Formats: sequence, C-alpha cells, structure tokens
Amino acid sequence: MSRLREPLYYAALWLISLFFFAPIGWIVLSSFKTRSDILATPPKLFFAPSLDNYRALFAKSEIFGQIFNSVFLSLGAVIVAVLVSFLAAFCFSRLKPRGTDFLMFLLLSIRMLPGPAVILPVYLMYAAFGWKDNHLALLLFYAMFSIPFSVWILKGFLDGVSTRYDETGLVNGGSWFHVIFKVVLPQVRPGLIAAFIFNLIFVWNEYLFNFLIGGVKTQNIPYALMVGTYSEGGLNWTFISAMTSIYMVVPIAFIFAFQKYLLVGMTFGTVRGEV
Amino acid sequence: MSLATQTPGRRRLMDNPRARVLVLLAPVMMFFIVFNTIPTLWLLGLSFYKYSLTGGVPPEFIGFKNFVGIFNAKNAIWFDLSRTFTFVISGVAFQTLLGAALGFLFWGSRNMPGRRVALTLLFAPMVLTPVATGTFFRFIYDPTFGVLNYLIRAVVETGPIDFLGNPKLAFWAVLAVDCWMWTPFMTLMTLAALGSVPKAELEAAEIDRVPFLRRLTLVIWHHGKFIMMLGILLRTIDSFKTLDLIIPMTKGGPGQNTRLVALELNKQSFESFNMGWSSAYAVLLLLISIAMTSVFIYVLNLRRRKETEG
Repeated sequence: MSRLREPLYYAALWLISLFFFAPIGWIVLSSFKTRSDILATPPKLFFAPSLDNYRALFAKSEIFGQIFNSVFLSLGAVIVAVLVSFLAAFCFSRLKPRGTDFLMFLLLSIRMLPGPAVILPVYLMYAAFGWKDNHLALLLFYAMFSIPFSVWILKGFLDGVSTRYDETGLVNGGSWFHVIFKVVLPQVRPGLIAAFIFNLIFVWNEYLFNFLIGGVKTQNIPYALMVGTYSEGGLNWTFISAMTSIYMVVPIAFIFAFQKYLLVGMTFGTVRGEV
Repeated sequence: MSLATQTPGRRRLMDNPRARVLVLLAPVMMFFIVFNTIPTLWLLGLSFYKYSLTGGVPPEFIGFKNFVGIFNAKNAIWFDLSRTFTFVISGVAFQTLLGAALGFLFWGSRNMPGRRVALTLLFAPMVLTPVATGTFFRFIYDPTFGVLNYLIRAVVETGPIDFLGNPKLAFWAVLAVDCWMWTPFMTLMTLAALGSVPKAELEAAEIDRVPFLRRLTLVIWHHGKFIMMLGILLRTIDSFKTLDLIIPMTKGGPGQNTRLVALELNKQSFESFNMGWSSAYAVLLLLISIAMTSVFIYVLNLRRRKETEG
C-alpha cells in the first residue's frame, strides 16, 4: 500500500468502529447531563458535565445490593459451572462413553431454546418449592445454564491436548486425580479462561431469569435497570443513562482485556483462532 | 490412618472405567436432571392440561386441545412465526452481507494503530445486555428529543418520526437495532473465516494473477465456508430467540407488529399465566430449536470430517 493510502485506510476502519460505538457513546455522554440537558431539543453535544446522576444513583442504598447480587450470582454460578463442566468435558473427550454425541447435543439444545420456554417449567418448579427470590436457587440455575457452553468450549480444547500426557502420567504412577488436575488442566487454561469470561458476561447481562425466578432480594443490575426505567413519573432517563454506563464497564473491559478469546467465546468453542 | 485407607479406595474406584465415567459426569448430570430434565418432562405433561395459575382451578386434562387451539386461534402462531422468520431472515441476511463486507475491510488491519481499542469499540454492541440496548435505543429513537430524529431532520424536511410508535416503522426500527448489535458478530466470523485460509494458497493465487473474484470462490470460499456457515447458523438460532431486546422498546407493539414467538410465549405465560397453553407453545418452540441445533451439529460434523480427511 502506498504511503498515503495506509493512513486513509486506517482512518476509515476507525470511523466504522466509532460508528458502531456511537449509540453507546451517546448514552455515556448523556449520563453526565442534567435532566433538562437530556431532554433538550435539539440534542446537546456540548454541555456543562455534572456528576449529579451518579451521585443520585449511589445515594440510593439499593444499588449496592444490586451490584453485589450481579457480582455474586455471576461469579458463583460461573465458578461452579466451569468446575463441573471441566470434569464432564474431560470425560467426553477422553473416555468417550456411549451417548457422548447425544449428550453434547442435548446440552447445546438448551442454549438454543428461547428463554421463556426454558424458564417456564423451572418457574413452576421454583414456585411450587418456594425457591423463588433465593440467592442459592438462582445461582444453581445460572450454573446449570452456563454448563452447556463451558462443556462445549472445554471439550474443544481438551480434544486438542494429546492423550500421551494422560498415558505418561498414569504409567508413571500418577492417580487419575493427579492426571486430570495437575497434568491436563494446566494445558487447557485458555479454554478455562474463555469459558469463565463469556459465561460471566452472560450471567452479568441476564435479565429474564432473574426477573422471573428471582425477586427483589436477588435482583441484578439489568433487572434493576428494567424496573427503574419507569420511576418518578415517566421514563427516568438520568437513572437509565447513569446505570447503563456503570453496568457496561464490565463487559466492555472484558472484551478489551480478553479479545483473543472473543471468537471462541461467541461460538461455543466451535471456531478457534484470534482476530 | 484414614488418609491411607481412603486414597487406595478412590484409586480403585477410578480404575474401573464405568465408575470413572460416572464420577466425572455425576455433577453435570445432577444439575441437568434437577434443573432441566424434570422441568422439561413437567412441561411436556402440562402441555396436555388446561391450567391457569391465576384461576385457582386444578389442572384439567384436555389431551391435544392446547395444540389444536394454538394452530386454530385467531392470532394464531402462524402470524407470530411468519413475523419471527421475517425478522430472522432479513436480519441475518443483512448482518451477513454487511458483516462480511466489513470483515474483508478489516482483513488487512494487522498493523493498524490502536487496533485493539478500535475492535473493542466495534464488538461492544454484542456483549451488552439487550435490556440496556433496547432501553437506550428508545432514547435515541424518541420522536421529540431523540438524536436520530434530529439528525434525520437536519438533512430531510420532515415532521417528527415516531420510530417505535408507528405500526409501519416499528418492526424495522427494532430490526435495525438487532442489526447494529449483531453485524459486528458476522464481521468477527468473517475475520475468522479469512484467517483460516492458508497464506501459501493466497500468495500462490496472487503470483498466478488469479482475478479477485476467482480467488474468492476458489481459495477463500473453499476454506472459509464452514466458519461462515456456523456463524450464519448461530445467528439464525440466536435471532429466533430475540426477546429482551424488544421488551423495553415496544413490548411487542404497536398492535402486534413486533410480537415475535418468544414475546408471545413470555406474555402468555408470565402476564396471563395460561400455563397449559404456554407449555404447549413452548413444546413447539422446543421442537423448532432441536431441529435448528441438529442442522448446526450437522454442519459442524461436516467440517470435522473434512479436517480429518485433510
């Protein structure tokens, strides 16, 4: 490429990226506006920034509970899910019991089903047993929902680790426990990270299940966002913009820090590589 | 003492191949039996009952009447299904075309300054919760103070446009947000597909001066088609599930113009509490999802077979 064309090419790519980011940028910008600036016509690009929306947001004590719920549910569910999924993925990859393909298919099909269809029977079960609005019950459901994705990702990575390692470990007197956790586990670290990060983003973003089988005690940020939308008579835009801006720091920071896992994470581990 | 007796015991257990499988699978299976298998069987059973959660009447067995009702009703499933498939097909087609075009554009960007930041900005839409996205697009679409109206009216002379309130526009306005969210995903897949093309073959084609179109069909498509197909399938399945993007924007309205199958099920089960009817509806969606998952796995296996053949 010639000297002049290269900067132009990169500038064009940057413009495209900024175009896709523009709506997000606009909401972040709005979070620093006062209510009257947000509702101004024509919309204001330049204004006196204020932190009042954030102050108002953190003045309410519920927000800390909601942030705690989001962190607790997503971390807890994902740790449980990745741990048990690793064992299952090891089993599917190495021992290949009969029905492996069928089980893998069943796992995947859960994630392919529209949310209300997944949650409808679980809702009835939780209502019958009185498990609604309970942190542990919700966490376990999220763990179940994170398992298919983790098993798929981890099996893909485990298939790429030669069975020679297992054999060497066993021949040299290591227990299965040793082989699984000390020999094989360290080699699929990228898979563990990908499963961890993308499940975390999923649970962090989840609204429907939290709304239906959770409740006021367990509500996470998306749920709070949905409920808080209509406070103070009409749409509460100052709340929405501040809450959204705070909430999305996490997923955006993750895809920046873990960009090389993005492809694996968005395709259930079926496509590998970096972008 | 206790340690000495435990360790050989565990090793003996793990030495039996069957027991090994059981031990490793047990935790996942337990999760699934409690949170998935039992509920799914419950769902299947309930689909043959007339059961309203609010009525206080015990469930009544009615055989296949729920299913018959779904296909016969005035606002039958066909309208929702056809609306959903319009949403899926036009959305996925647009996202694939634009996404692939952008993918080709980003192909040569290895040495771009700030590439990581730029890609983070580009991929940000798809990792945000649709609830937040839907809400802030309502803000952007707003007819009085929305920025989009302002931008349009700066160019074209027109009255305020109520994107989400106008029955003719709402569907396309919602679809546009879906495209904004997911076009970057197809760009990602295109980049992956292009990355899977061996460099040597590309260089050979370049040295042989193969025209770009022929290079595209002979070399690039040959290597990249599976990844593209997986991308399109994942997008199709995901787009079929669309729900929480639409709830904050239109809740399925105006009228029923943005009511997709997932929204209808959500409304019938958790607003009207028609549990029997909804179960039947969910069973139908389950069948559709299973069919789509099968196609996905079929393509995945095609790719595996091709890889092992070389």
